[in-house]
Amino acid sequence: MKADHRATLLRRQSFSPGLFSVTFHCPGLADAIAPGQFAMVDVPDRLRPYLRRAYSVADSDAGSGTVEFLLKTIGRGTAALEEMPVGAGVRLLGPLGNTFTVSDLPRGARVAIVAGGIGAAPFPALLKALAGSGVVCDLYFGGRHARELSLQSRFDGLVSGETILTTDDGSLGEKGFVTQALARRLSAGARYARVFACGPMPMFGALAKVVGGAGLSAEFSTEAEMGCGFGACLGCVIPGTEKPFVVSCSEGPILSPEKIRW
Amino acid sequence: MNTALAVRLGPLALANPILTASGTFGYGLEFTDFVDLSGLGGLCTKGLSLKPHAGNAPPRICETPAGMLNAIGLQNVGIEVFLAEKLPKLRALGATVIANVWGDLEEDYATVVRALEGAEGIAAIELNISCPNVLQGGMLFGNSPPLTRSLVSRVRAATKRPLIVKLSPNAPDLVESARAAREGGADILSLVNTFVGMAIDPETARPRISFGTGGLSGPAIRPLAVRMVYQVARALPDVPLMGIGGIAELSDVLEFLAAGAAAVQVGTANFKDPGISGRLVSELAAYCLARGTTPADLVGRAHRAGAAGGDAGAEG
Repeated sequence: MKADHRATLLRRQSFSPGLFSVTFHCPGLADAIAPGQFAMVDVPDRLRPYLRRAYSVADSDAGSGTVEFLLKTIGRGTAALEEMPVGAGVRLLGPLGNTFTVSDLPRGARVAIVAGGIGAAPFPALLKALAGSGVVCDLYFGGRHARELSLQSRFDGLVSGETILTTDDGSLGEKGFVTQALARRLSAGARYARVFACGPMPMFGALAKVVGGAGLSAEFSTEAEMGCGFGACLGCVIPGTEKPFVVSCSEGPILSPEKIRW
Repeated sequence: MNTALAVRLGPLALANPILTASGTFGYGLEFTDFVDLSGLGGLCTKGLSLKPHAGNAPPRICETPAGMLNAIGLQNVGIEVFLAEKLPKLRALGATVIANVWGDLEEDYATVVRALEGAEGIAAIELNISCPNVLQGGMLFGNSPPLTRSLVSRVRAATKRPLIVKLSPNAPDLVESARAAREGGADILSLVNTFVGMAIDPETARPRISFGTGGLSGPAIRPLAVRMVYQVARALPDVPLMGIGGIAELSDVLEFLAAGAAAVQVGTANFKDPGISGRLVSELAAYCLARGTTPADLVGRAHRAGAAGGDAGAEG
């Protein structure tokens, strides 16, 4: 059940300037949330930012009652969280949205995660869930430059398969786009039971072609500016194929690419 | 039910004066984890049209100081799905449902209202003549007193239910619009809908909303809305009003009641704080109990206290 939870900031970890994680004590949400879901975060200032911010939950632990978000400083909401003192309170509305599908994957299956920049945010929890189901996972993690891949350390010990890094400028890993790295391995014979992805729209567009061409099952964690997060304002729609618009927050955020009109 | 909060707006009796505004509360069912719908004075549905409506292309919303712009474009499931799937659930939950309706043409409004007329469980009709985010209908009716009068009288003939007309703050003369709606047969006026605004991305120099302009809502518009309620209440003291505009806490409710609203609709705050409407009912009950007063006693106090300084009825 969705609820508006009180949460206290326990710790913040910086990966590089503007890339950080925040971990809140929030037992009610930690108990309820599943990989791929998100929360609407109400940072303390009442009027600016006015709306809550939608952030995918990166990881949660029911035992310690903690919920973690991986964030990139972009606007007022993320800037407030980057500066918020440990011990300060926020409200977390959740769990919201649907989840990545893991339960139908057989033990020993191999899947790929494709993350572009801060699109890595929802995947620590998914990697843990996949490991728990005995599913092997390769992580394709791309960014514009090496600094954008500093979040990589958050995935230490979580990736059961191979980790493939790419940068647009070649400063780390393979030079080029992360979707090209995936396409190269697919043409070399790699096969995946499912591709899970999160990143910017251009990456999704390219990836939809790659997975469509290979006939792969895929789940994209979509991003749209959200007003409410629970299907009331209809602000976060994405053009759809089966109907004019898909509501990202309540019908997603996890959507298969064939439901999206590219 | 706490009868101490009961209010009457012309033919419409409500358990309390806290309602939720159309377009900010979905069909009510999205909020059942956060609010006991039966405890609200009422809920105004998303604007309903004869046929399902897809709405505008994204991006549709953008945050602004103390509020937001939206141009959803009246996306809705249409009355057939509303009657078959939404209304029975709302009735089972004990909600007081106000059906907000719109159309492109005068006849569309009347057709929608006639189609709703046979349904059980609708307490009132609210006519949206003030949506700024569609190319036809909506605000075009609300910005012209003769069109307002004609549309309202056409709809008046199509329903026996209490008829609320939701006014546009973008009308050249709001008091004239209010008068026209009343002359057309409105029982109650609700005000205000959103103000037409615009936000431009300074990097790309393109509007942040695909429709170009959007409707501004949230606490940013509250003083404008309070002024408009005050003005209409003074010009038309016998017409019951529902105040709308940036209500987010109890003091805002009291402010609109003082300005002359007999009830209020909570809008954009529902997005940020989905439990707010139910909490405002409890807080208003506690306030009235502590002060030995009733919501009805609180209506129009600012008029009795007298307008301070300049003429609040003047536009300049």
